[in-house]
Amino acid sequence: MRSPVLAVLAAVVLGAPALAAAQAGDAKAGKAVYDLKCIGCHGEKGDGKGPAAELLMPQPRDFTTGLYKIRTTANKVPWDQDLFRIITDGMPGTSMPSWAVLPDKDRWNLVAYIKSFAADKFKEAPKKLELPKEVGSSAESIKRGKEMFEAIECHKCHGAEGRADGPSRAELKDEWGHPIPPANLTKRWTFRGGASRTEIATRLAAGVLGTPMPTFIDSVEKPEDIWHLTNFILSLGPESPGYATLVTVTAVSDAIPDDPNADFWKKLTPNNIPLMGQVIVDPRNFDPSVDLVSVRAVYNDKEIAFHLTWDDPTQSTEDPAKKLFADGISLQFPPQPSSGPERPYFLMGDASDAVYLLRWQNGKGVTEATANGPTKIAAIQGAEASGKAAYANGQYRLVMKRPLVSKSETRPTFTPAVFMPVAFQAWDGGAGEGGTKMSLTSWYYLRLEEPQSSRRFVIPPIVAILTLAVMLLVVRVANRRA
Amino acid sequence: MRKVIGTLLAIALVTGVALVANRPGPAGAQGGGTIEATVTFAGAPVVEKLKVNKDTEKCGTEAVIEKVVVGPNKGLANAVVSVPGAKGAAKAMKATVDQHGCKFVPHVTAMTPGELDLKNSDDILHNIHTYSTANPSINKAQPKFKKLMTEKFEKPEFVKLTCDVHSWMLGWVAVMPNPFFGVTDAGGNAKIENVPPGKYTVEAWHETLGKQSKEVEVKAGQSTKVAIEMKK
Repeated sequence: MRSPVLAVLAAVVLGAPALAAAQAGDAKAGKAVYDLKCIGCHGEKGDGKGPAAELLMPQPRDFTTGLYKIRTTANKVPWDQDLFRIITDGMPGTSMPSWAVLPDKDRWNLVAYIKSFAADKFKEAPKKLELPKEVGSSAESIKRGKEMFEAIECHKCHGAEGRADGPSRAELKDEWGHPIPPANLTKRWTFRGGASRTEIATRLAAGVLGTPMPTFIDSVEKPEDIWHLTNFILSLGPESPGYATLVTVTAVSDAIPDDPNADFWKKLTPNNIPLMGQVIVDPRNFDPSVDLVSVRAVYNDKEIAFHLTWDDPTQSTEDPAKKLFADGISLQFPPQPSSGPERPYFLMGDASDAVYLLRWQNGKGVTEATANGPTKIAAIQGAEASGKAAYANGQYRLVMKRPLVSKSETRPTFTPAVFMPVAFQAWDGGAGEGGTKMSLTSWYYLRLEEPQSSRRFVIPPIVAILTLAVMLLVVRVANRRA
Repeated sequence: MRKVIGTLLAIALVTGVALVANRPGPAGAQGGGTIEATVTFAGAPVVEKLKVNKDTEKCGTEAVIEKVVVGPNKGLANAVVSVPGAKGAAKAMKATVDQHGCKFVPHVTAMTPGELDLKNSDDILHNIHTYSTANPSINKAQPKFKKLMTEKFEKPEFVKLTCDVHSWMLGWVAVMPNPFFGVTDAGGNAKIENVPPGKYTVEAWHETLGKQSKEVEVKAGQSTKVAIEMKK
């Protein structure tokens, strides 16, 4: 190309993908960066067997096979830009971080170096993937997408509502023989190759190499079904989880329903809380199953209720013979709200400061407990809490209730307008989680809204009128002086 | 009634075997000899069973994974017997694998380089996931409405076929360099016809037991018997 202007023009005319223009990297210079930044996981030989590999799930890429999950080509060879993009953006839901901190040049050099691990695979030229003509989202398109979703049986792996709970889930393995879960289509911020329309359509059309996800470009009824499917998948969940920083408890005057599927709960805005694996105490959980819990909370003059929603692909109760644990979730509070910033140790308290747990376990129901650490949990006698859970299509919905006020020292009293520390823990028994193998959060805060009174409709207008009156007075006095 | 069905089945089986065995040879190989190979294995059969949690109306409730099938007189089924050194042009003939009852039928398909028809007669989703090095490996969805797909296998190789939806499904496609091959039946027998006269190494390949070979001399118009024993 003679001038950069021409190059840009050509890119626009040809409708080039929104990928950076490829630059020829220097493999030798790439090795220097690789040995500093990549070797820990991907290994000296590029075979994905670095010292950290065994703790990672999914496992680091084995570059020696030249096989890449995320590519925008019709054959198996990725563009350099595909590799550059993954290095730059990282892979959501995996241990691969974004390396945007490295200069562009270093990243292009890395591309050249990782290609050298499977040089023979890159002898073949990448082939452009031709996506069918784009179809925008509409109610009809989503409907057609749902039909196709059912016809091509996406649910076999991804589940009827897309929560990765399909019957083939447990059988899935990647080409290296490692178990690999299907994507949860309701959480598209975890999609490895990105969550944009084009990216989703590309994965559907070209598959995800090295995984059970096949290509569908020739396996839908009409080519544009790829876009209808994309529109349907986009309709399954929000673009981002919109994590909450504070759990607001809404004041209600009516009775609070026990049924977790009641319409009452759907009207409340969820507070989405992210959970992480517990990696402080042995046995640790490096591959947590539950990564998000949606909390809806209400209170009336008698009780406080928590409605929790979380995805769990396997419904399981305790079965020692099969080494299965019960699914469970718990809310953690200090036994009494403190006036200062001090809180018990977030990991279920310690010997000196206990925590109060309001918890539910599949098969046992709702119970209350006092904990002085994750292995020192004692049930509180005389149950005051109750609850009801429902499980469907890879998702739990649970209501837990408790009296607002407690006279005992082991249970907190909830007071409106007071910030109350709260933390969450969850266990997916089907994934082998139990005891300290859990997902958890650090401390969050919970705040009971003050009961709504009619005063809020009266006081602000009065203040406004008074302010106006004072202003007019000031103006008049000033005018008179002048 | 049962007897009649049994007889019919037996006839069908014999005809089937005969059809497989009577693979047409290359043109101009008239006056060649026949190799009657018997492949045996002294070990025990290897059969794995798995409880099926989906599509039970098509797949049954128990999946049987037959890794080593040993018949009467130690005959080893599903072994590919071939004569790599024989010269003869490949005849264009499409091979077919059917996905039926959540199994690849036949379990081992032998073909000369060319096209392979992949049928889905189950009316449910399967995916053809191949493991190969010489040929490009594929992973293509074959939903229920896609009854037939055709794929090219152009280089000689033993290609593993799997389906990720039904993890127990396992099949093999043996892409052979020349048309002189056969797949052993339940008795461990395979017949290779119209082999040009000469001295050859006969090779037997099995998916888990590997390869064994034996020298033979093929004479025009004659049948040569060869016994190959597979070892672990």
